[in-house]
This record gives sequence, structure tokens and C-alpha cells, in this order.
Amino acid sequence: MQRLLPRAPFLALLLVALPVAVVAALMTGPVSISPGAMAHAITGFLDSPRAPSRDALILLDIRAPRVLLGASVGLVLASCGAMLQGLFRNPLADPSLIGVSSGASVGASLVIVCAGSWGGLLDATGLGLVAFGAFLGGALATVLVYRLATSAFGTSVNTMLLAGIAVSAIAGAVNGLLGYMADNDMLRQMSLWQMGALGTANWPRALIATGVAVLMCIWLPREARALDALLLGESEARHLGIDVQRVKRRLILLTALGVGTCTAMAGAIAFVGLIVPHLVRLAIGPNHQGVIPGSALGGALLLVLADAAARVVIAPAELPTGIITALLGAPFFVALLLRQRRSL
Amino acid sequence: MSMRASGIHLHVAGFDLLSGISMQLEPGTVTAVVGPNGAGKSSLLRVLCGDLPATSGEVLLNGRPLAAWDAATRARTLAVLPQQSTLDFPFTAREVVALARIPHRTGAARDREIVQAALEAVDAGYLDKRYYTHMSGGEKQRVQLARVLAQIWEPAPEGGRVLLLDEPTSAFDLSHQQLTLDVVRRFAGEGVAVLAVLHDLNLAARCADRMLVLSCGVLAADGTPAQVLDVTLVERVFGLRCILMPHPITGTPMVVH
Repeated sequence: MQRLLPRAPFLALLLVALPVAVVAALMTGPVSISPGAMAHAITGFLDSPRAPSRDALILLDIRAPRVLLGASVGLVLASCGAMLQGLFRNPLADPSLIGVSSGASVGASLVIVCAGSWGGLLDATGLGLVAFGAFLGGALATVLVYRLATSAFGTSVNTMLLAGIAVSAIAGAVNGLLGYMADNDMLRQMSLWQMGALGTANWPRALIATGVAVLMCIWLPREARALDALLLGESEARHLGIDVQRVKRRLILLTALGVGTCTAMAGAIAFVGLIVPHLVRLAIGPNHQGVIPGSALGGALLLVLADAAARVVIAPAELPTGIITALLGAPFFVALLLRQRRSL
Repeated sequence: MSMRASGIHLHVAGFDLLSGISMQLEPGTVTAVVGPNGAGKSSLLRVLCGDLPATSGEVLLNGRPLAAWDAATRARTLAVLPQQSTLDFPFTAREVVALARIPHRTGAARDREIVQAALEAVDAGYLDKRYYTHMSGGEKQRVQLARVLAQIWEPAPEGGRVLLLDEPTSAFDLSHQQLTLDVVRRFAGEGVAVLAVLHDLNLAARCADRMLVLSCGVLAADGTPAQVLDVTLVERVFGLRCILMPHPITGTPMVVH
């Protein structure tokens, strides 16, 4: 399979496409706002911030945090996916493999079922108790998987895969049990959460996710060469002077933080972490100096577009974003795989 | 002395894989490790490169214990070619070889020259833009060899360079076997200490200055090919009756069976 594009034009293309998609997403929704009206609303708001127009309210209170949250979550999920696929030397790895997603879903379900009555407790922060439960659950599951796979000889990625599967199975069972105990309303909340949705976006959530996204943008490119070397094998990477154990610990911690936060803020949005790095690799080859920024930009782009679609397909109601990412992403992914197989 | 191992014991899961092995690698010499399957050749190589910690005994690289080296500094003096590679991503040959320059700070232009020269040294220049996943076994092995050569292409300020090769020619046809041994000899000529695990006794005798014969984890013989190879040793270690005769041109011993 030939690479479609050299790295630089591909990244440039994404860099242009992302702002375009952001503007398009700000325009779209049950009430569509043209670019002219958007500019008018924003200048109007800047002139008299105390009396915002209807358009300004929609843009600033609803759509802007939502688009920002979508872009940040997409960026983090896809770049963490790229990093894990490199670390596990497996193009099918995704963040759920190390238990972070399933742990987060147990955390969220536990809060929904057991602590539904304390709902008002954290509303002051605008984050909600469910988000805290999800983050804690994801972080705990990752630490558990990492500890299970780490011995005196270092961390075995194969054992991590197996431990991740086991932890996910346990999490699935606990989730089932919680679902059995839950009433109808809680069940609906749980299943909506598991589909992943950006509908709960507000500024605090968006800013937290953006903070994590900025951290990823600063940190991950530094790991690109180590990840390239790791694709050769762990022992080969060590002989190239990479401190493999420290790289692993850092990357797993970063994933737990990044994916844990994203899942807490937006629910379990499937597929972005798996498919985006894969597509980027098909387009520009496996070099991480391209795959990591490409996945970051591509993930942000995909989620912004998917969320815009989620808001309009059955307007005025909206679909959970996770359903759209899977519905749009999976067939595209299959088509690419088929093309790749035919060209072999 | 580029590398010295003394009193190496390796005990894994109830088995003594190596017992009491002491050896050294001198700058400018090619040392071949031979022995039957399961004699401990690869285990020895893995202890020497630090992949397996020895149960007891010590490995010194340029006078300092392996573990005392900073990883990147060590990588500038010690390069290791594993027996098998698991790379399963479509890098081009050039990109694979370029990974060898990670521990160096020689600049992109110089790195490109070295990568090109290393590919050409193993007759893989024509592969530079081909994808690793589409190559034959022999081509992959040549690209990996080019990678470890590029890693220690130039003399290192940290000390003598050491090249450890585990069955470097196992997937090669005859002409590429010869080419590989020539490249290895050329590296040795520049002062690199080379250790190669080889399974072909004749190949080992032809290219090595010294031969180490391993048998059941102990050193059965250590010396020049002419000193080491004799009919009783080959029968004792390999369980094979053979005759020895000198190579008609080079005079090195040849095992015929």
C-alpha cells in the first residue's frame, strides 16, 4: 500500500481543515447561524456584554464550549490511541485495552446508581459527580492493569493486554450487576453515558479537556522517536538507548490521565482512538513524528464533525455523539482495510 | 579490551543455561560463537548485551559494568543484531536504518549519508524506498544489519565499539553471506570488536579470528579456528563424525562430513 501523501502536506491539510470544521460546527444546529450572523453576534456581544443577543447566547453558552470539548476530546483520544498502538506494537490497540474505558464506565455507573441522590453536591463546579466517578474508575483500572503486568523484569505489554481484557470483563460484569439493580431512569442514564455524548458540555468541562489536550500536544511529540524505536521491539529499543521502562510508565500514566479525563467529561466515545491513528498511518506511514500530530488533528476534526452531525440528523432532538463516530467511522474504516488488502 | 565477561552463570527456571563463562572481545577481531542448538549461544549474547542479567559474574564494556552505562551513551558504542525481528509496520528501509541514529547528535545531513552508506554496504541500496513489510526474509535481515552498522558507523568518543550479531547470515544466500562477512571484517579492520553467533562451522572458520565453542552452557574451546577445530572436538560437541581439511586457497580448516 503506497502512502497517499508526504507528511508535511498532510498535516497542513488537517491544519486548514480543522478551523473550517470548527466554524462549520459553530454554524450548525437546530438554529443555524450564518458566518455573517456569527460575526455580528460576537461583535454585538463585545460591545454590550450585558445584553447578549439570542445568537450570541447560543454561540457562546452552548456551541463554543461544545465544539471546544469535542475538539479536545477527539485530540486526546486519537493521540493516546496512536501512542498505545505504538507502545503495544499493535495497530489494533486502543485506549480500552488497558482498562481505562471500562474502569471509567464502572465508576460512572456506580455513581449513577449509588449516589444519584447526592446529585447536587458538585453541581457548583459544573462537572457533576458522575465525571469524578468516571475519572477515578478509569485511573484505578489502569493502575491495576499496570501493576498486574509489572514484575521485577519490567512491564510486559502482552500481560498488560491480557490483564486489560480481564479487567474489562470484570468491569462488564459489575456494570451488568449495577444495571440489574438500577431503576429505569438510572438505566437510561447509564446507557446514554456509555454511548458518549457532548451534549453535557459547558465551559468548565471544555476548559479541563482543553488543558489535557494542550498537555498532550506538548508532551507526546517528545516521545515520537522512542515510539518509533519501540516498533522494532523492546530489546531493540533498549539497544538504541531508549529507557523503555520509563517510557512505558510515562505513556501509560499519560493515557490514564488523558483518556480518563476525556471519558469523564464526555462519556465513552468509541472508535476515535482506534480508527484515527490507523487512517493517519495509512495516509503517511508509521513514523510517529507524523502519526502523533496527524492523529491529534484528525481526532479533533472527526469529533467536531461527528458532533455537528449528531446535532442535525434528527433535529430538534440529537443523537449521542458516540453513535455517529461509530456509524460514520466503521464503514469508512472497513473500506480502507479492503483497499489495503487488495493492494497487497 | 572492548568487552570482558568473567565467571558468567545464568540460571533460568531451574536450568543452568550458562556456567562459568569467561571471555573477552578485543578491538579489531572477529569472534565467532559456535555450538549445537541449545548450547547457550543466544543466551550468552543476551547476557553480553544486557538483555538478560547474569545470575552471577560480570560483563564489562570498555572497563565499566554494562548496567553502569547511561543508555544513550552505551548505544553509541554497542550495537546488537537480534536473531529475529518483530517489526510489523510499513517503514521504508531508509526509515528503519535511520532509527539507528537516535542515540547520536550528528545532524540530519550526516545521518542521511550514514544511512545511505550503511544500506549500500549490505547491498540494500536498491531497497531504500521499499516497505519493510513487503520484503523477503533475507532483505529484512540485510536492512536490520544495515541498521546496527549505522548505529556504530563512526568511532565513538566513549570507547571501543562492539558489534554483537546473532545469526546474521541465517536467511542469506551464498553471495550475501560472503558480503556480510566482508562487511563485518571491514568493521573489525576499523577497530570494532565483533562477536557473531554462527551455526555454520565453515563460515565461522573462514571469517573469525577466534572461535568460542559452547556445549551445554560451558565453554568447550576457545582459540583460533585452527587451534579449536579438530575431529574429536567436533565429534564430542556436535556428535558428528567428520574429516578436516585445509581450504585449498586460504588454508583455513574446513569441516567435511
